[in-house]
Amino acid sequence: MVEFIYKPRPNLVDEAFDADGKAKPHWQYLLDSLSAMGADAFADRQNKAQRILRDDGATYNIYSEQNTPDHAWKLDLVPSLITSEDWGKIEGGLLERSELFNLFLKDIYGSRDLIRTGVIPPEALFLHRGFLRPCQGVSVPGEHQLLLHSVDLVRATDGKLSVLTDRTQSPSGAGYALENRTVMSRVLPSMFRDSHVHRLAQFFQKLRTKLTSLSINQDQPRVVVLTPGTHNEAYFEHAYLANYLGFHLVQSGDLIVRNGHVWMKSLDGLSRVDVILRRVDDSYCDPVELRGDSQLGVPNLLEVVRAGRVVIANPLGSGILENPIFLKYLPAISQALLGRELRLPSVATYWLGDDHDYSKIKHSFDDWVIKPIYRGDMQKSALVSQLSKAERTEFLAKVQAKPELFVAQPAINTTHLPSFSGGQLVPRPAIMRSFSVATEKSYTVMPGGLTRVGTGERAFVISNQAGAFSKDTWVIASEPERIASAGGGEQPTPMREADLISLPSRVVENLFWMGRYAERAEALLRLLRTVFVLLNGEEPISMVCRRQLLTCVTEMTSMLPGFKDAPAALINNPGDELIAAVADGARMGSVRSNLNAMLYCSDESKELLSSDTLRVINDIRDALYALDSDLAGGLASAPEEALDPLVTALMALSGLSQESMLRGVGWRFMQIGRRLERTVQTAAIIDNLIVLEVGEQDQSTLIQALLQTLENLISYRRRYRARMGVQSSLDLVMLDTSNPRSLLFQLEELGKHLRALPKVPETRHELALEERAALEAETLIKLSLLKELSSRDDGQRKILKQNLEQLTELMAAVSSHVSDKYFDHKNSSQQLVRNAIGE
Amino acid sequence: MLYRICHITEYLYNAPVSHCYNLAHIIPRTSHRQKCISTDISINPTASFKSIRDDYFGNRAYHFEIQRSHKKLVLTATSKVETREQFFDAKLDAGTTCADAWQLLNYAKEAEFLLAREFLLDSSMVKALPALRAYAEPLFAPEKPLLQAVMDLTKLIYKEFKYSPESTTIATPLEEVLATKRGVCQDFAHLQIACLRAMGIPAKYVSGYIETLPAPGQVKLVGSDASHAWVSAFCPGQGWVEFDPTNNCIAAEQHILTAWGRDYFDVTPLKGVIFGGGDSPILNVSVDVARV
Repeated sequence: MVEFIYKPRPNLVDEAFDADGKAKPHWQYLLDSLSAMGADAFADRQNKAQRILRDDGATYNIYSEQNTPDHAWKLDLVPSLITSEDWGKIEGGLLERSELFNLFLKDIYGSRDLIRTGVIPPEALFLHRGFLRPCQGVSVPGEHQLLLHSVDLVRATDGKLSVLTDRTQSPSGAGYALENRTVMSRVLPSMFRDSHVHRLAQFFQKLRTKLTSLSINQDQPRVVVLTPGTHNEAYFEHAYLANYLGFHLVQSGDLIVRNGHVWMKSLDGLSRVDVILRRVDDSYCDPVELRGDSQLGVPNLLEVVRAGRVVIANPLGSGILENPIFLKYLPAISQALLGRELRLPSVATYWLGDDHDYSKIKHSFDDWVIKPIYRGDMQKSALVSQLSKAERTEFLAKVQAKPELFVAQPAINTTHLPSFSGGQLVPRPAIMRSFSVATEKSYTVMPGGLTRVGTGERAFVISNQAGAFSKDTWVIASEPERIASAGGGEQPTPMREADLISLPSRVVENLFWMGRYAERAEALLRLLRTVFVLLNGEEPISMVCRRQLLTCVTEMTSMLPGFKDAPAALINNPGDELIAAVADGARMGSVRSNLNAMLYCSDESKELLSSDTLRVINDIRDALYALDSDLAGGLASAPEEALDPLVTALMALSGLSQESMLRGVGWRFMQIGRRLERTVQTAAIIDNLIVLEVGEQDQSTLIQALLQTLENLISYRRRYRARMGVQSSLDLVMLDTSNPRSLLFQLEELGKHLRALPKVPETRHELALEERAALEAETLIKLSLLKELSSRDDGQRKILKQNLEQLTELMAAVSSHVSDKYFDHKNSSQQLVRNAIGE
Repeated sequence: MLYRICHITEYLYNAPVSHCYNLAHIIPRTSHRQKCISTDISINPTASFKSIRDDYFGNRAYHFEIQRSHKKLVLTATSKVETREQFFDAKLDAGTTCADAWQLLNYAKEAEFLLAREFLLDSSMVKALPALRAYAEPLFAPEKPLLQAVMDLTKLIYKEFKYSPESTTIATPLEEVLATKRGVCQDFAHLQIACLRAMGIPAKYVSGYIETLPAPGQVKLVGSDASHAWVSAFCPGQGWVEFDPTNNCIAAEQHILTAWGRDYFDVTPLKGVIFGGGDSPILNVSVDVARV
């Protein structure tokens, strides 16, 4: 067995060892357990953890067209350990810092005494873009203006803990810390149990209580989480937190200001919003008064905030506190506001806009980390000595042109933590982010936080963007902790019943389209599978059949011209075009483009999907990812088998939505989408394979293809045994309501779902437009006669064709009525006076 | 002087606007030389929600929201304002020198001086370019009284620049204004502000109206006035003094001010977000300033 022991290294200061290289007492148990477990077993747990994270959809920088595994959230299973005693000191320092920042924020948007009395030079505040002048005088009810505060902490090799940066805009990471904890307790249950780790749940309970208490409407406060959208790097966390806290996840388009209030657009109209937990940067939140070019905000939001009719956490304008120039003046600010120095100091910070500081730095740029004062600019901070010659010249030119826009900090040698890498325990530099939330009298700090470790032993940048691993942070209780009161477990709070109806209409629309795209992709896959099998079959099929089958593919994908009226050469060599119909994501209508659209819709409604569903969605992503290599052999190498994993995954998805999704409004819309789409697709297949009059042999082949595609071949054979007949086939695929793939089955289900949608009381018994169209469609199919449908006229089954066309039109009408009535059709907005520069 | 000002802003859209949110700076503020007695605002179509507040700079900010579909928006503001001459306790050629002004701004700890430094910094529409410093520098000799230097700069801009409404838009950058020597009052104000800031003198943008007098023997035409813009410069010891580079003068009774800020963007008469509306709406503005 390979030795799995963590050893001290000379020249590195390690959190796990004392100065003599002996394991510290609180690390002993963990290091012993690890070595007893062994490297292989630990690697197994690590894999299991990565699998759970993936199944939970834990990603950082989600939805990109080719979602490679690199984007998955990375967790190193070796926790960071802190004793209760040490933590007590850290917590005290963090509380004090949050209190100070709170007073500081009040002063900045209030009387600005710190400027008036010369504690801070005016330029340090006024030149920073994070100072939002429209936020002057805006205040939050209660004692605290600053509601959420995060701090990145580093411990230098001399043992001193200091603050590297403050996060006051919309601090992220708490959700990831919670997910890390959940995974750790599942993967290393006994180690976790025996270590008596302080729980995180109470922190989130406080967060929830605080947010709810901010509402002026205490009867049924509605809190929402505002996300920039699915493309944001931390979208997973937004959805995860919203779910865990039991709040709605909304995007800017879901909210509207009207008559002095903020409303959420939902199916049953507008629902008032009282509190917004924002994950959108403040300057983007209101295009009327803040950045005019923002598409992520809600016009006039700030004016509602001023009137006190909505509360935003963190308040708009709070981003100014992230200005690193302030770190230089923090000791003086603390003296002025608290009357004492902070217990928890910041990393020494020099402002290059200060002549004295600048002359100190300018002869030794290489020794410093130089940071822009405004986060979010393209310009990143840099340890100057690590830049290439060209980068260094370019960077320093920028710094020298506008030195006031930069600060310098010494590069900190941090202590190291044991980390699992390459099958071994190795030391890695570490940084920890803490989380505080304002509570009634003070702040509550999450016990522990989100620890991140560098990718190399001497890594300088430790960030998720740089590929760093995260760690769970264990504050080890000296005595067993009392279990938090009922409801305090680390379990999501269920949404209130009333809230299930008032989903944002965007989410409902996405569920509707998710249903449609899933059905469309599945129908295409089934057809293509049939076509591949028949083309490669033992018995060659006639040119007429070939042409008919291939045209059906083109009609159903709408990838024109494709095989439509194609020359014989293409009909005889259809391989490339068929593969494109499956895998070419750039062409609208292909299987891949439909599935990409479906995945997009599922991301948009992620917070409503169960963890099993998310796992299946991951399977679909995987299968899509593998598709190109699976299809590399072209038509010759049984391509139908490459499609099987996708068909299976789509079946699992539809099964899950039947078996484990709450019968809420969202589910109804997904079902409406599915039934409607399956009707349209089935009608198209029948139209393409049965309407044309062909010879008896060919007819039989095409009917067989139809039944195969609709998964009815076996039932048909069992029922009729005889040759393939048109009338008996149409009976099975159109009229038989015991067949879950027949047209009539879809139409009856569709009618049921439409009837169950919410209606206004005044017209409860009148048929809505979409119901009328669905009823007409159902009646049309019910009243059709097989004899007429199969009758031939001039080489075609004309009545069949007419009926199918009418059915398709009626389905389009249902879709557009549903869409007009229930979904939001936001006009695009524009600025009256264009100013791209903004605040 | 007592004035009645009627300011009409009209937007014509080529597609319906379903709803819109607007922020207007059209209510004259109060200052040490001006008092706004009343303002009536009418909006067509009717606004479903309105509010007024004082903004960061102490201006009156007027918000309104329209929730009904429209292709035409008309905003009419009628105000009664009483103005006075500017009053400052020294002649132009006898106050604080440039050198003293720079010294005081750098080292004095009085709140007034510290807060004025906000108006030394670049803002979204005004950047203190080296070319502008070079343009203004000869006028700011250290021993010269600062206000005299600012007046000389006002005169220089008046003399060298041609008033030409067709040649610029709000988005025309200062480099171009300096190169073509053409523009309107907003451009001249921005240009002078940039020169002053480049010279280390805090400067504000002032928006408002100016009373124009008809040529002798002619009747004044209604709507012939326009909204106007000028600058306010900070002179340590003498406070903020307003200069008008378009008319080569110190702002006086005929200058009725609405709002001030770092530049036009802070005090835009009407801005906002509209939903729909199509491309290139037509904007008509008419202003009438009458003595009461």
